[in-house]
Amino acid sequence: MTSKYDLETIELPAKWKASTLFTLGLILVFIGAVLGIFMKGQGSGESAEFKHLIHSYLANFMFIMTIALGALFFILIQFVSRAGWSTSIRRIAELLMWTIPFLAVLFVPILVAVWSGRSVPYEWNAPEQVHSSVVKAKIDIGYLTKEWFTIRSVLYFGLWTAMAWFFYGHSRKQDESGDVEHSLARQKWAGPCIMIFALSVSFAAFDWVMSIDADWYSTIFGVYVFAAGMMAFFATMILISMALQNAGKVRAFISVEHFHDMGKFMFGFIMFWSYIAFSQLLLYWYGNIPEETYWFAVRLKDGWQYLAYALIPLHFAIPFLGTISRHVRRHRLGLTFWAAWAIVVHWLDMTFLVMPNAGPANFIALVGHFIGGAGMFAIFLSLFLVRAAKAPLVPMKDPRLPEALTYANPLL
Amino acid sequence: MSHNDHNSKATKEPRPPKACGWMAEFENEHDLLHAAEKVRDAGYTKTDAFTPFPVHGIDHALGIKPTILPFIVLCAGLTGLCTALLMQWWMNGVDYKYIISGKPFGITPASIPVSFELTILFSAFTSVLGMLALNGLPKFSNPVFTNPKFDRATDDRFFLYVDSTDKYYNRESVRELLSSVHPSSLDEVLEDASPSELPRGILLGSLLLVLAGLIPAAIVLNMRASFSDLPRWHVFFDMDFQPKKKPQQTTTIFKDGRSMRPQVPGTVSRGQLTNEDPFYLGYDPMKVSSVDGPRQIYVSATDTVLETLQPPAGGDGGTALNLPWLEKLPVEANEANIKLGKTKYETYCSACHGYAGFGDGLVAKRAASLAQDTWTTPTSLHADRVQKQPVGQIFHTISKGQGKMASYASSLTPQERWSIVLYVRALQRSRNAKIEDVPVEQRSGLTDAQAPKTDGQ
Repeated sequence: MTSKYDLETIELPAKWKASTLFTLGLILVFIGAVLGIFMKGQGSGESAEFKHLIHSYLANFMFIMTIALGALFFILIQFVSRAGWSTSIRRIAELLMWTIPFLAVLFVPILVAVWSGRSVPYEWNAPEQVHSSVVKAKIDIGYLTKEWFTIRSVLYFGLWTAMAWFFYGHSRKQDESGDVEHSLARQKWAGPCIMIFALSVSFAAFDWVMSIDADWYSTIFGVYVFAAGMMAFFATMILISMALQNAGKVRAFISVEHFHDMGKFMFGFIMFWSYIAFSQLLLYWYGNIPEETYWFAVRLKDGWQYLAYALIPLHFAIPFLGTISRHVRRHRLGLTFWAAWAIVVHWLDMTFLVMPNAGPANFIALVGHFIGGAGMFAIFLSLFLVRAAKAPLVPMKDPRLPEALTYANPLL
Repeated sequence: MSHNDHNSKATKEPRPPKACGWMAEFENEHDLLHAAEKVRDAGYTKTDAFTPFPVHGIDHALGIKPTILPFIVLCAGLTGLCTALLMQWWMNGVDYKYIISGKPFGITPASIPVSFELTILFSAFTSVLGMLALNGLPKFSNPVFTNPKFDRATDDRFFLYVDSTDKYYNRESVRELLSSVHPSSLDEVLEDASPSELPRGILLGSLLLVLAGLIPAAIVLNMRASFSDLPRWHVFFDMDFQPKKKPQQTTTIFKDGRSMRPQVPGTVSRGQLTNEDPFYLGYDPMKVSSVDGPRQIYVSATDTVLETLQPPAGGDGGTALNLPWLEKLPVEANEANIKLGKTKYETYCSACHGYAGFGDGLVAKRAASLAQDTWTTPTSLHADRVQKQPVGQIFHTISKGQGKMASYASSLTPQERWSIVLYVRALQRSRNAKIEDVPVEQRSGLTDAQAPKTDGQ
């Protein structure tokens, strides 16, 4: 199979430079940070600019982190289900997943904020300012302390890196030998890894995002973040695959059938996100208990209500109807449009989760937040390029590759 | 079906069956796909393939157009969505407004699950029924079954069929086309020669079944329209007849033949121990005769009888209940009891009577804003008549209820009820405090003018 194709088509385009993209990302992040200064004079306590900046950074970090976690989960389900169709697109997901060690470095600013004793983004980090008995109890049992927060964060990154290393490592070794044993080993461990993944992602969502408002709790919150991340991951996959093909690469490996399937996944997770987000809302709406509803109350005032209500059409109704047709999912331009849409609304969603706790919405600061988000996404893609520069874009010796190349969706 | 017309006498010599099309048989799916493509390219559209398992690409090879079913289902789903929303808006927002913990009427987040369900229900029914309709099902017979070779379509053979109703159908050219792709056999599909009318037995049987099916409905209708003194039918016995004895029945187990057993001497009924204790009643039953002789007999018999007595003429409801109420609290006025009373008051009473006792609790406010005439305003505990009530009577009100207020005896122990009385007294006192009530060291600077005024209602 290998000899039939020009090996150049499974390498990154020569023009795609990680360093350029990384520099661009840094510049955007810097511009975004500067615009954040317009938050000055709003809110109280810690200086409003700093509060905005650290929340903005956390939201944008979660924006790209969830995509990388989506890639990890995608790899896991490919092996737990012994999928053949995805073999030719799997390497792109593997490279996205293999950016997790880099993302651990990007998490350091959050840890620095915590260890410098700041009460942002986490109020529990200043126990003397905490008035809520619920939060006090969570601090007193030692869960929400900077030591344990750090230990857990290190543990999450350790587990994810270990899994990514295992799955990526076997994939690369198979590139050399073509040994089926590498596939079997990954199939064997995919199941247990999914359990570890589910728990670690759930707790990471609790620790990093939900504990901003430590009074509030939602047991479904981890699933919410996961669902959002999966949607954004498939969107990212679609965009990267499209871009590679437009640059003349992997055209023989990724067919309209693969795009159709990634589109189906994206459509499914748009629905799943809506289902989870609504499930969460409905229980709180029904219970109508102040300690549970105030999380939504914060998000329904000070300008954030426009974002909250906009998410319903933007994150659910419009893309749901937009991607429901197979003709759209099999149409290159249509699918690209909805993938880009999904990434933007995922950014909006992460903003919705994090930013209202930083104070009232400020237009210029939010523009800065958006530019920072674009910068972080550029940095994320540059990390992908760093990884992709060292590996072929298709696992050429995977025994299931022929299955992927002849794969076709049944005609309805 | 013209041959139906002459089935009476001409059945002796059956007419030669009509040809319906050509059926080619293949050894494997690759040959089938190849043949299907050729037939498709030749322009035939009334074709079909029969295979033991789903063959990838057969739809494309046959030139089958994507079905319009998804669009029909989408429309049905949207219809379901609108039906559900309209239904809930009309039921909960227009026709029958029902207060559920102060939630808004009409469409709320709670409407979404129902809307979702109806969307799915409409879609699912439309999918199944639409699939059947578009496929022309159910179909009781098909000419392709006339050839015994065709049975292997569910086993190990692949068949391609070209129907004679096709626009371009020509018996010879189709035969040639199919021969050219080398089928393992090629047969002309003949019309099913067996008579097409329903056998008399099936017709009669179905008719009987339909008639039998009407019987239960007829019985139900009859029962709804008629009266009967007889006990009802026990169609399902469930627990209608149980091997147990009921009161007033006889038995052979006991010597006296009664299934009811008399009380063992010395038995004390539930509640009797507390029947004469003022602590549980709020008044002293021994002294009832001193204020109201005729009631003595009832009161000493059972407390509940009291509730059936009419209040004395000229009284204003319960306030005029003429009983020897306890004037002095049977519980100590210490901090523990005050705290207990406060907790229980705020849990059970404040919703209507308000935290300060002015009858302005959240429920009262909400009811007032709805302005429904079934609502009775809660009494202000600072009203003159409540102020004058003995503690025993307040206790009695909590225990037995008053007007619209329900009894709280099942939720609160007597000790808790007395603590609430103590707390109510403290609330009343706080609104009518005299300078003597303030500790000596805190009196300086306080004048009568600054003392809290009574609400006075």
